[in-house]
Amino acid sequence: MAKIEKKLPFWQREGFTPFILLLPAILVLVLVVLLPLLFSLYTSFTGYRLIRPDSLYNFVGFRNYERIFTDWDFWVAFGRTVLFLTIALNLEFLFGLGIALLINRITWGQRTLRTIMMFPMMFSPILVGYQFKFIFNDNIGVLNNALQSLGLSDGAIPWLVDKHLAMGSIIVAEVWMSTSIFAILLLAGLFAMPRDPLEAAKVDGCNPWQVFRHITLPFLMPFAFIAMTIRSLDVARAYDIVDVMTGGGPAGRTELLWTMIARVGYDNSRMGQANAMAYVSILLSIAFTYYFFRKLIAARRYMGGAN
Amino acid sequence: MTKAGIKLLAAATALPLLMAGAVSAEEIDYGNFDGYTLRVKLIGGAQYEPLYAEIEKWEEMTGAKVDVLSRKNHFELDREIKQDIAAGTLDWCVGSNHTSFAPQYGTIYIDLNGVIPEATLAEFQELALANSTVDGRLVQLPRHSDISNLYYKKSLYADQGNKDRFKEKHGYDLAPPETWDQFKDQAIFFANAPEFFGTQYVGKDEAITGRFYELLIAEGGQLFDENWNPTFNSEAGVRAVQWFKDLYDAKAVPAGVLNYLWDDTGLGFASGTVALNLDWAGWASFFNDPANSKVAGDIGLVRAPVGSGGKRSGWSGSHTFSITETCDNKEAAASFISFLTSHERQMIEARKGLLPTRAKVWDEAIAEFDGAGNEFMVTVFETYSQSMAEDAFTPPLIAPWIEVSNEIWPRLQAAILGEKSPQEALDEAAESAREVMEDAGYL
Amino acid sequence: MDTALKKRIGKAVTWVMTFLLMLIICLPGLWVVLTGFRPNREVLAKPAIWIPEELTLNNFAQIFGFGAEQVAIPVPAYFTNSLIIALTSTVIAILIGMSGGYAFARFRFRFKDGIFLGLMLSRTVPGIALSLPVFMIWSRLGLIDTKPGLIIVYVALNIPFTIWLIDGFFRQIPKEMSEAAQVDGCTRWQAFWKIEFPLARSGIASAAIFAFLTSWNEYALASQLTRSTDSKTLPVGLMDFTAQFTIDWAGMSAMAVIIIVPALILTFIVQKHLISGLTFGGVKG
Repeated sequence: MAKIEKKLPFWQREGFTPFILLLPAILVLVLVVLLPLLFSLYTSFTGYRLIRPDSLYNFVGFRNYERIFTDWDFWVAFGRTVLFLTIALNLEFLFGLGIALLINRITWGQRTLRTIMMFPMMFSPILVGYQFKFIFNDNIGVLNNALQSLGLSDGAIPWLVDKHLAMGSIIVAEVWMSTSIFAILLLAGLFAMPRDPLEAAKVDGCNPWQVFRHITLPFLMPFAFIAMTIRSLDVARAYDIVDVMTGGGPAGRTELLWTMIARVGYDNSRMGQANAMAYVSILLSIAFTYYFFRKLIAARRYMGGAN
Repeated sequence: MTKAGIKLLAAATALPLLMAGAVSAEEIDYGNFDGYTLRVKLIGGAQYEPLYAEIEKWEEMTGAKVDVLSRKNHFELDREIKQDIAAGTLDWCVGSNHTSFAPQYGTIYIDLNGVIPEATLAEFQELALANSTVDGRLVQLPRHSDISNLYYKKSLYADQGNKDRFKEKHGYDLAPPETWDQFKDQAIFFANAPEFFGTQYVGKDEAITGRFYELLIAEGGQLFDENWNPTFNSEAGVRAVQWFKDLYDAKAVPAGVLNYLWDDTGLGFASGTVALNLDWAGWASFFNDPANSKVAGDIGLVRAPVGSGGKRSGWSGSHTFSITETCDNKEAAASFISFLTSHERQMIEARKGLLPTRAKVWDEAIAEFDGAGNEFMVTVFETYSQSMAEDAFTPPLIAPWIEVSNEIWPRLQAAILGEKSPQEALDEAAESAREVMEDAGYL
Repeated sequence: MDTALKKRIGKAVTWVMTFLLMLIICLPGLWVVLTGFRPNREVLAKPAIWIPEELTLNNFAQIFGFGAEQVAIPVPAYFTNSLIIALTSTVIAILIGMSGGYAFARFRFRFKDGIFLGLMLSRTVPGIALSLPVFMIWSRLGLIDTKPGLIIVYVALNIPFTIWLIDGFFRQIPKEMSEAAQVDGCTRWQAFWKIEFPLARSGIASAAIFAFLTSWNEYALASQLTRSTDSKTLPVGLMDFTAQFTIDWAGMSAMAVIIIVPALILTFIVQKHLISGLTFGGVKG
């Protein structure tokens, strides 16, 4: 074999094949992600303003970073984003798990149920934003109308304005949109589950909770982490929802990093500063993704499936 | 926007329309640009579309083609134009513009003085042209203007019980408010949350900055002094903020008002659950259309109230057209925007309730409404023509306006919600606004 | 209590809970769908009208320009654009993902873990941070407001997850199978298409549905990179219902129905593959 390989031109050699196979993927990502990132990294060191193209060459060193690091509002938005992600992802996991467990027990009409379960995935984030904006509208919104019609509330609850409810309402919208992904992945996990350990545990007299806690759940965790990783990869699409529902307001109560970046970058035309913020937010996403990714690898090891 | 309303209106005005068509079979010569393709970016949305249906006629007359590169709502178009500036892709000729946005774009648009014949410009309202001028350059040709006046639910004011109780409580006769203080009294008087509200206001973005700004002026304050130092944290400023806060605290406005934009306030008034509504002219025919609105036939209209500074609020803006500096056929572009803002074209928009920028169109539109027996629209146009002529003012025509606004409105919200005192909130906003102005080179 | 009864109660509880959960999942969405068939006046009424008094196709007629007002929104163009862009980008992402996934599953090479993590992390960049730089590069390349411009972006968005799923899938297929085929005289290429591809089909199908849904629903980047009917997609078209002062909520809901239905049908068809695809693709690798 080795002899033959030597005669082949380098791109046909075994050692190069994976790189050639990966080349299209890498090329596309370099063009669409890496190059733009380098550009925005550069602009984050300039006083670049969208409406003054010449300001692109106005190098300001770390001033944008200094500005945002000393900006209290920025850190509040940062903290809120972390909180938002933590709460939303955990809720999505819990609901997803509940739905998956229920559907797994039902045999009749399951295919239809699975499609219904995925229903929210058909909704564009922007549409989800409008939908919940109208649901939570305090005056003509469905939710307040329903509460009033049922006699559960006699006041108009300002869902999108109240200090605690505003963020809560956005989390509800986000959870509604994304729980399906958890549910479908966890359901896939349940389907893959071997029957033997379950039967064995039942024979040994474990109660259903013990079975769930010690057998089902550990088996499902890798699936949960996959879902978490996938979700933390593209959580930023929650921007569409927040932007439509509250735009970060009122008084910054629902301001997340992404709404802040959009306002600073486009409305205020301060692209340099916005890109500095964007870099901080990218680091945050990477941290979340990396965390779940490590967990995933560990869980795979635990199951003995990884190589 | 105004579905059946427009239909009704169109039917009612069909006859005069025919007559008008017969008189002026397009006397103006728009030139000949055979084979040329004009690239344009237009603001989209139901209320703007009827005008674009006319573009065909210009194409027929001049032999040119119009290529609409994009048709988006206002804010998206703003983003797109900024991107074009950034990427150097201003390869188009005519763009929709707005007086509030125009100063940001610097010199990408040409000065229309000398490009549009003086005789044509003379037919426009002076104030409309003045408001379209940035740094001495007429960067845009006004298409239609807008300003807010106070709509109210008539039956509330005719009710004897209301009259008696109001007189007893406030010591003066119940009549549509003439001052901002009366506006507040009456809004609180009529409110009965959550079924009925005294009034409502827009609560975020440039919308609330604008409302604050016009109230500030009415109260005798100013945003900036002559050297561009922010001065809106004055007593007048505090009074203005207090007005919003008092109504909020008294539950005279819906609790969610801080998340409201124009659609929410308009639809709220149309739902019949609001007594007073300071709003734009474009809503008038919608409000009076039974198919959309529960208050149809029960609407009164007065000019926006006077503040304690003795001035009326009159925040105003115009939708406009501009020609790019990079345009390869400015003559064709000029012909195109002249066509879109011509007398006949403005009549088309006026019939739908949009406020014209040509003096003569006002008169003709009012005459038309009168002839059709549409008293409500006559009142609307007469009221609005007065406020356009006497009260209208724009936000400062400076590049960082939107940025300054973004510093102001979150603080207004904080003050209204009680997180900060009005003075604190305004001081903070003024401090940040000063930074913005420094960065922009004004200070 | 005897066990039979216990079982029946358990079953009933399961059903009731499932029903309630499905209701919660569906109600907000179904309400949008219902709104699409109601006149604005009724939707925005206060006090609320719960049982529709009037169902109408008017909103749809308006969109397509058959209404009284002729406010046509170029939905057929948007629809075609969306379909072309979503399908093309899905197919390309799957091809690239298969090639990449195969590399990760079948080869050992330097920096393998680093490259894998790098590919995954490329997805963490928020669209809002990418939009301007991408715009500037695209305008140099003449890709603004073109379908290929958007297709390339969506391919990039979908590559990481696609590679991940497909990688896991190929690992499930014993190497020996393709080796055996090669011994029988197949080239590696033929062995791939004859042996490995058919076995990985459900994994590929599930990757495809995820990619399709992402592209079909994406808004943030599309709104920046598209401008006219040459390339505007359905989610961007939703914004046609908003003007400076108004939102036509009923019209928007009608458009939402137009967006949702094709995605729903497609998902239902691919449903069977989806679960098994995810089962094997995700974890075991």
